[in-house]
Amino acid sequence: MSTILIILFALLAVLLIIRLAKGRASGIKSPEDLRSQLCTVDIDAFRNLTDSSEEEFLQSHLSPSSYRKVQRRRLRATLAYVSCVANNAAVLIRMGEEARRSSDASVAEAGIKLVDNALRLRLQTFQVKAKVYLQIIHPGARTLSVELVSQYEQMTRQGLLLGRLQYPARGISGVF
Amino acid sequence: MPLLKLIWYYLWIAPHLLQIGIAGIMFRRKLIGLFPWFFAYTCFEVLEFVLLFIADRFHTGAISYFGLYAVTAVISTILRFGIILEILRQLASNYAVLARVLKPFFRWVAIGLLIAALGLAIYAGGERSNHSWFVMNMLDRTALILQTGLLAGLFLFSRYLTLSWRHQVFGIALGLGVYATVDLITAAISSQAGFSHAELLDYISMATYHSSVLIWMFYLWAPERKPQHDLQELPTHHEVEAWNQELERLLHQR
Repeated sequence: MSTILIILFALLAVLLIIRLAKGRASGIKSPEDLRSQLCTVDIDAFRNLTDSSEEEFLQSHLSPSSYRKVQRRRLRATLAYVSCVANNAAVLIRMGEEARRSSDASVAEAGIKLVDNALRLRLQTFQVKAKVYLQIIHPGARTLSVELVSQYEQMTRQGLLLGRLQYPARGISGVF
Repeated sequence: MPLLKLIWYYLWIAPHLLQIGIAGIMFRRKLIGLFPWFFAYTCFEVLEFVLLFIADRFHTGAISYFGLYAVTAVISTILRFGIILEILRQLASNYAVLARVLKPFFRWVAIGLLIAALGLAIYAGGERSNHSWFVMNMLDRTALILQTGLLAGLFLFSRYLTLSWRHQVFGIALGLGVYATVDLITAAISSQAGFSHAELLDYISMATYHSSVLIWMFYLWAPERKPQHDLQELPTHHEVEAWNQELERLLHQR
């Protein structure tokens, strides 16, 4: 039994390594390629899903079983939005990487900063996703809610920005 | 000399001759300071080969072949862990924000893997007719589980964060990853099949090692890939700066 487990583990590892090696070969042709990969986040819907008062309203007006059912659906939708923000953060990391290679020192420096910030955002989305999964398993639990909502709020703003990045020519200063 | 024996000697000798070449490339390209553990490992593998070859061919008698093999295998294993640390350090040095995340993440991964590997070693069955070989195989397997798991974790982590690897670091990790995973499979099978069947599996292990050496040689020899697109297509300074300022503002809002 232990031998089979080890062989399965090693096979998974070797497949992962080969996949990464293949993925690495497919380079990004231009920043336009990256921009086309950004996904738009519907902020109003996202905000609605993460609104704690909305959650309280549902809890007080629905039976416990109906609430759990509805809440699970809402959490799944939230997960989709968080995944979208995570995807956009990954796109920004790659954009930053492209900028980092620039011969123009100021662009390269800005690229380094962009990569750093986008990495932090990507790590945050990982944490939030884990918490959402936990809540999907136990939708009645509210122990994580306060922290989660503050993270949601922060990510809503980030999602707003990143969603708009598809159109950098229009500028982003007026987003908020 | 039968063909099988010829293949055996080829697979034993050729990778180590190539490793002398790798050491030469590293010396010429001034890569020793960048990858000291990998350089030490490369040199040690050549030395290990010379010692084992002499012990095998001339039966010196001062120390048994198995004893020598066991001692050198332990040193090789330690050096391979050093290479993994080196890869981690190289990856973290490219991204300031990762320095504080990587350490705890891999500490926990290592602890988890160690517990799993020890558990598997305790409950391992298999052929125990040659006790010292069995113990050696078990220790080797435990170390390989740790190495494979750490490398797979590293690849997963960097894939999730879409990190870009330096050409040479990627090559070293790829070669080591391929060797460790295939060696783990052969070690697991041979622990069941026993000492008498180990020689057949050695061919697979040796062929994989040969492939890994070729991977290392290729990545250390080939120049770093340049971006495939025109530099004019890169994001403009204004564009990057604007994104960056907004991201920074957002990340500091709590």
